[in-house]
Amino acid sequence: MTALDLQALLPLVLTTATAIAVMIAVTITRRHGLAAWLCAAGLAAAIASIASARECAPRHISDLLVIDSFARFYSGLILAGSLVVAVLSYGYLKLRTDRHEEYYILLPLAAVGSLVIVCSANLLAFLLGLELLSICLFALIAYRRTGRGDLEAAVKYLILAGASSAFAVFGAALIYADRGSLAFGPPGLALSSPVALAGIAALLVGVGFKLALVPFHFWTPDVYQGAPAPIAGFIATVSKGAVFALALRYLSTENLLADGRIIWLLTAIAAASMLAGNLLALRQDNVKRMLAYSSIAHVGYLLIALLASASLGRPAAAIYLTAYFLASLGAFGVVGALSQPTRDADALADYRGLAWRRPFLAFTLTAMLLSLAGLPLTAGFVGKLSLVFSGVSSALWLLLSALVLGSVISIFYYLRLLAALFATPPASEPAISSPNTPWPTTAALLFLTVALLAIGLWPAPLLDLIQKMAVAAW
Amino acid sequence: MTLLYLILIPLLAGLAAWPAARVAPRAARGLCLAASLAQLVIAAILWQNTPTTGQWIETLSLPWIPQLGITFSLFLDGLSLLLILLTGLLGALAVLASWTAIRENVGFFHFNLMATLAGVTGVFLARDLILFYVFWELMLVPLYLLIRIWGGDRRVYAATKFFLFTQAGGLLLLLGILALAITHQRQTGTLTFDYLQLIGTALSPSQGVWLLLAFLAAFAVKLPALGLHPWLPDAHSQAPTAGSVVLAGLVLKAGGYGMLRFLIPLFPQAFPTIAPAAMALAVAGILYGAALAFAQDDLKRLIASSSISHMGFVLLGVFAANELALQGAVVVMIAHGLTTGTLFALAGAIDERLHTHHLDRLGGLWTDMPRMGGVTLFFVLAGLGLPGLAGFVGEFLVLLGAWQTSPVLAALASAGLVLSVVYSLRLMQRVFLGPKVGEETPRDLSAREWLMLSVMAAATIWVGLWPQRVLDASAPAVQNMQKSLSDAAGAPEARP
Amino acid sequence: MTDVLGIVMFVVGGVLFVLVSLTVGRLFRPRRPGQLKGEIYECGEPTVGKGQVQFDLRFYVVAMLFVIFDVEIALLYPWAQVFRQFPKAAFWDLAFFVGLLLVGYAFAWRYGYLDWTRPRAGGQADDDAQTPEQER
Repeated sequence: MTALDLQALLPLVLTTATAIAVMIAVTITRRHGLAAWLCAAGLAAAIASIASARECAPRHISDLLVIDSFARFYSGLILAGSLVVAVLSYGYLKLRTDRHEEYYILLPLAAVGSLVIVCSANLLAFLLGLELLSICLFALIAYRRTGRGDLEAAVKYLILAGASSAFAVFGAALIYADRGSLAFGPPGLALSSPVALAGIAALLVGVGFKLALVPFHFWTPDVYQGAPAPIAGFIATVSKGAVFALALRYLSTENLLADGRIIWLLTAIAAASMLAGNLLALRQDNVKRMLAYSSIAHVGYLLIALLASASLGRPAAAIYLTAYFLASLGAFGVVGALSQPTRDADALADYRGLAWRRPFLAFTLTAMLLSLAGLPLTAGFVGKLSLVFSGVSSALWLLLSALVLGSVISIFYYLRLLAALFATPPASEPAISSPNTPWPTTAALLFLTVALLAIGLWPAPLLDLIQKMAVAAW
Repeated sequence: MTLLYLILIPLLAGLAAWPAARVAPRAARGLCLAASLAQLVIAAILWQNTPTTGQWIETLSLPWIPQLGITFSLFLDGLSLLLILLTGLLGALAVLASWTAIRENVGFFHFNLMATLAGVTGVFLARDLILFYVFWELMLVPLYLLIRIWGGDRRVYAATKFFLFTQAGGLLLLLGILALAITHQRQTGTLTFDYLQLIGTALSPSQGVWLLLAFLAAFAVKLPALGLHPWLPDAHSQAPTAGSVVLAGLVLKAGGYGMLRFLIPLFPQAFPTIAPAAMALAVAGILYGAALAFAQDDLKRLIASSSISHMGFVLLGVFAANELALQGAVVVMIAHGLTTGTLFALAGAIDERLHTHHLDRLGGLWTDMPRMGGVTLFFVLAGLGLPGLAGFVGEFLVLLGAWQTSPVLAALASAGLVLSVVYSLRLMQRVFLGPKVGEETPRDLSAREWLMLSVMAAATIWVGLWPQRVLDASAPAVQNMQKSLSDAAGAPEARP
Repeated sequence: MTDVLGIVMFVVGGVLFVLVSLTVGRLFRPRRPGQLKGEIYECGEPTVGKGQVQFDLRFYVVAMLFVIFDVEIALLYPWAQVFRQFPKAAFWDLAFFVGLLLVGYAFAWRYGYLDWTRPRAGGQADDDAQTPEQER
């Protein structure tokens, strides 16, 4: 372990240290503000450690981890997402349970799990990260313990995540049986043997579950509905982003796309996710469930980048994910900010006339929804543009037609929510009188909105960064 | 930079009007009116200084997303210029028409109105295809909000339908643009979305047809062509007056402009393959729109349905594709913008007085409002193509051009002219003549309404009597289209 | 192809073995159900009470804490084996690990997870384990 190794590992180390520091602080004294600040400061320090690292050559840390610029980019995304979730959670938790502090231990630990997934060069590291992430999420989903919904969601997630992990472990075991190693690569080897191919199929189940791809998506709406709004945002973004980055790395390290069967499998899954996700979202009156289904569709779109040629697909995936992170976190942030102490603001009726009652939140949500729909001048448009560009240049016409169809369907339910925002305010009292937004929540939402519009208006700097970082060969 | 100002002026005015309306709604209205007039004046100055050679009056190019080869580049030729003039004029009309009608959230209303106008202006000016798409989509959101917030009883339904149709077409356009740029990149090695560079892209026949259809899908929804029109009567009838004016006067023109600007120059080889089917569709649209207009019992729906008929002439003219027909299509767009835009403003004025635009609840208004009756008659006559007014010139030119290509279709299309007389006169009959319905005695035109209507009337007469200035302005663009068509016909097939 | 054949034969053979042995037994064995045979087999001891007993939740907490601290042993043993090779690094490694455990221990202690009968721990509301009031 050299100093350079340590420097490369610094984000992981700092995030872990954050969890420990919060735990020590909580042992000494229970203060919500202190725990939240420690958590936010630790995550911010971890982000800073990525930004300050100059060296970009890939570093292998033992056989398990590899820190290259690809991993750095996604680590940054994950940490930034976790930071936003932490800040949004502060205002959210303040009104709810009487014990807030353990939350800020679990959140950085879940981030560590995601970081390990992103940096893994070995199936063992991947499984380790996956378990760490899942175990923290069980506790976070059930954190409020107020209604039956939370516990139902947590138990559902526990059982299904357990089952999918079992598949992933089985897949890893099969691959190990075939080649005697859990390390990724060398390319092409996996396709020659049916045992390894079966292993990859089993791994796909585990990955598909975390990404909530059709047909592994059944848990998504219930869990999103039951989880606290910021945690739903975390599951939609950080957890999916990490696993997607791993899938991207694994597919190209093993060169799995050389096999026509795998291409067909992924194409079918992607098209099914786009269509099913959007169609199921159509009839939802529950905003959290609607966002859950829309997230299924969005990961379906992302698979286009996975299947496109690497030189265009990788930056497209990075841009699309960044835009999706911003918009999803913002949308769930608004849901959280509107929520009452007793229940989340997830009914469509809660949003009627919001534009006249809470203009800032309504404007934020409008921007987020337009970005999710991929309209110009938002980050979502830049994401969709690069995604479609990569798809067209690889001639993935089937997926692109599914994307067009899915997008048109999605417009319908985004507009439903948008139309509710601008409904004429009812003469009587509003359906819910939500508390004032605490300033950290406002700040986080403002940051997300500004970033969303800034990327939409002037995407060149982000694209430069992504060209430099997220495309590097490994 | 003048081109940038043309877009920025309405946008900034809208942004400024939003907070200004909190202080004084009049200030917001005045600001937006001034912005539209400024746009008009700048465009008029550009027109005066039109260079005698070359198609392009002015161009502008700024870097935007260099990684994807996207630039913020604009250009202006006579065709764009005419539509910018129309934008300025109708923008002012829209602000004036909603002067007293909009009382709630005045600031946000004007922001949305001006943002729509900025988007439309951008569409008419964009030279980079992605930029074109950005503006194309950009005018959608504020227009959606205009209908959603200030619209009629079924506004949510209408606004959603409008958004869905346009977005579906728009996504196909995006696919088409990207596919075209990638084909161009494979041939030349440079990734660009610049219109002037993409023009020379060689396409295989099937590729050309597919791309042409993708582009056509977006434009035909906006125009709208028959089959893609169901959003139009709802959106127009539910929108607030200003929204209807902008929709009918400008947004439909974006569809026509897209066809003229892109279809022939980009796909000269594939164009003749599609043309017969598209012309047949156009004629069907002309007749269907007229029949639909006759069957309506709502004033705004009637005017909206007549738009389908009129815009059918644009489609017919574009696909007849000789100089007469193309010039005619341009004039029809201008004329339809002037007359239909004003008719919607008049419908709004009636609605403001009597709180209805249902034909059964209107009637005999002439006795109380003779001046409004006279003005309406003038614009109805202009719409149905009375010689000497704007509508006649365009439709006559289109018919002349179409006759050269297909006499049968031209004959059928001229039947549409006859039908337009029927539904237009029915409109006059039901609203202004006949027995009086209702108790109110609405007041006649106010000074503000006189002002805006007489300016519009003057423009209609001017285009009707001296169309040569208009034809001169669009001539270079049209001649270039002719040239690319004849080049393509003469050239051997593009390599597969 | 032979690889697949191997897997298929293994799976099919496994399933067949279980099915065949159960079926053969069912065909040949005598069927004489009785009360004695229906009872629970508990290493020969007679059973007392019902099978579904509700455990006190506190047992789970204690068991979990035990497991956490017990795992130390699993790490300490190999650590002791290599201690002489890297005395410095090994010392700090374990010191860190034990330190982490200590933080957890302090946490559990602070909030009363080690107490069997719990007063309201540290005056803070804590509804994880049952408080005497709730038991009544």
